[in-house]
Amino acid sequence: MAETLLDIAMMHSDTLITRARQGDQNAQGKLVQLWYKRIYNFSFKFFLDHDMAMEVSQKTFISMCRNLAGLQDIARFKSWLYKIAVNYCREEARKKKNSRSLSFDTVWNHEAEESPQWESSRQRAHNPESHYRQMELSDILQEALLELNVEQREVVIMKEYEGLKFREIAEVLNISENTVKSRMYYGLDGLRKILEKRKFDKDTLGYEL
Amino acid sequence: MSYKPNEQDWMAYLYGEMEAGERQKLEQYLMTNPEAARSLEQFKDLRAMLGNVPEQEVIAPPIFVGESKQRYFWNAGYFKTILAVAASLLLIIVAGRLTNTQIVASGNEFRITFGESRPTEVTPTMPLQTLTHQEVHDMIASSMHQNNVAMQSSWDESQQKLNNAIRENLASNSGKIDKLVREASAASQEQVRAYVSNLQTENLQMVKEYFQLTSAEQKDYIENLLVDFAKYLQQQRNDDLQIVQSRLNHIEQNTSVFKQETEQILSSIITTVGSTPQRETKY
Repeated sequence: MAETLLDIAMMHSDTLITRARQGDQNAQGKLVQLWYKRIYNFSFKFFLDHDMAMEVSQKTFISMCRNLAGLQDIARFKSWLYKIAVNYCREEARKKKNSRSLSFDTVWNHEAEESPQWESSRQRAHNPESHYRQMELSDILQEALLELNVEQREVVIMKEYEGLKFREIAEVLNISENTVKSRMYYGLDGLRKILEKRKFDKDTLGYEL
Repeated sequence: MSYKPNEQDWMAYLYGEMEAGERQKLEQYLMTNPEAARSLEQFKDLRAMLGNVPEQEVIAPPIFVGESKQRYFWNAGYFKTILAVAASLLLIIVAGRLTNTQIVASGNEFRITFGESRPTEVTPTMPLQTLTHQEVHDMIASSMHQNNVAMQSSWDESQQKLNNAIRENLASNSGKIDKLVREASAASQEQVRAYVSNLQTENLQMVKEYFQLTSAEQKDYIENLLVDFAKYLQQQRNDDLQIVQSRLNHIEQNTSVFKQETEQILSSIITTVGSTPQRETKY
């Protein structure tokens, strides 16, 4: 059942892409609705900043609408879209690096932290304490993610949070699959070390997980 | 066993993207290498932990992509304005050149000319400026006088004409009246008599017609009246007859009732007489 549903969804997505490629603005709009959350989440984890994530997402989708006609293979739409997003993320990261050095505090997304959506999205937190701890955990994890270098970070986010296959990531980044796996390995390894440095591992979290 | 998985193998295994044969080999390797197994566990724990980062909810803003990919500078508003102004100026210049327009502003004079400019003679206006107050006065007075004289003469003339016309009119009118009077007096006695008799016969005719008409109307009216009256009488008679009939019926009924009662009384008397002879003896 899930298979067939997925098939239907994929078919729907394919027809949408075909129509959008022919210049159907309605289909383009639907495509944006369909993928906006994914691209936003990718860039949010990349920057840990709402405004930059919004900017990258918007640029990505504007570029998508303009260049969709040039997409040869519909099956590669996903990796193609992520490729655009990754390029914009790198561009923004370069700009940011050149213009200012950011302390973590400025990157910290207070707004997102305090928004009710943030809280409602964690339904597992039944008591306030575990809620607080979990919030802390997710913050620490995102911070740790931000400490990775760009190459590892984008691979880890795409693999762990966006669920792309290694083959797809290789397509996005235009590198070999093995390189992707290596970056993933060192990315995860790096994350583990960062978290250990903060005395933050399975034992301290044991009761949480 | 010489097999030793590398980083790529570990990742492929961790994310379940390894082919079956490879996977078996790696699982065997894990059995024999507790160190490697522990390292893999660490990765699994890390993955579980990473799963705690929530998804951000976001609403996609509307994305507008214009038809033209580039915004050319000649589409800008300011450019259009400047272009419009320049075009207007050019138009004015060309029109001016074609019509040979000359605009001169010198001293108290502002002049726009089309075609060849001709020097205008301004000299005649000069002496006027030198006229004195008295002279102007005199000129006005003289022109007024001339005007008055002309007016007077025209008035006199028209007066004359009017008088003549009135006189002529009067003469002709009185002539006509005289003629009429004369004609009237000339009419003979005979004519008058004929006229009067004629009038009389006309009157007679009229009165006769009137009477005829009214008598006919009256006849109609009386007829209608009589008919109505007859109808009314008939109705009345019918009603009376009905009443009489009903009364008679009533009386008849009464009589029959009375008869029955009488019969009853009689029969009762008879029976009582028959059964109680001793009572009768009492009386």
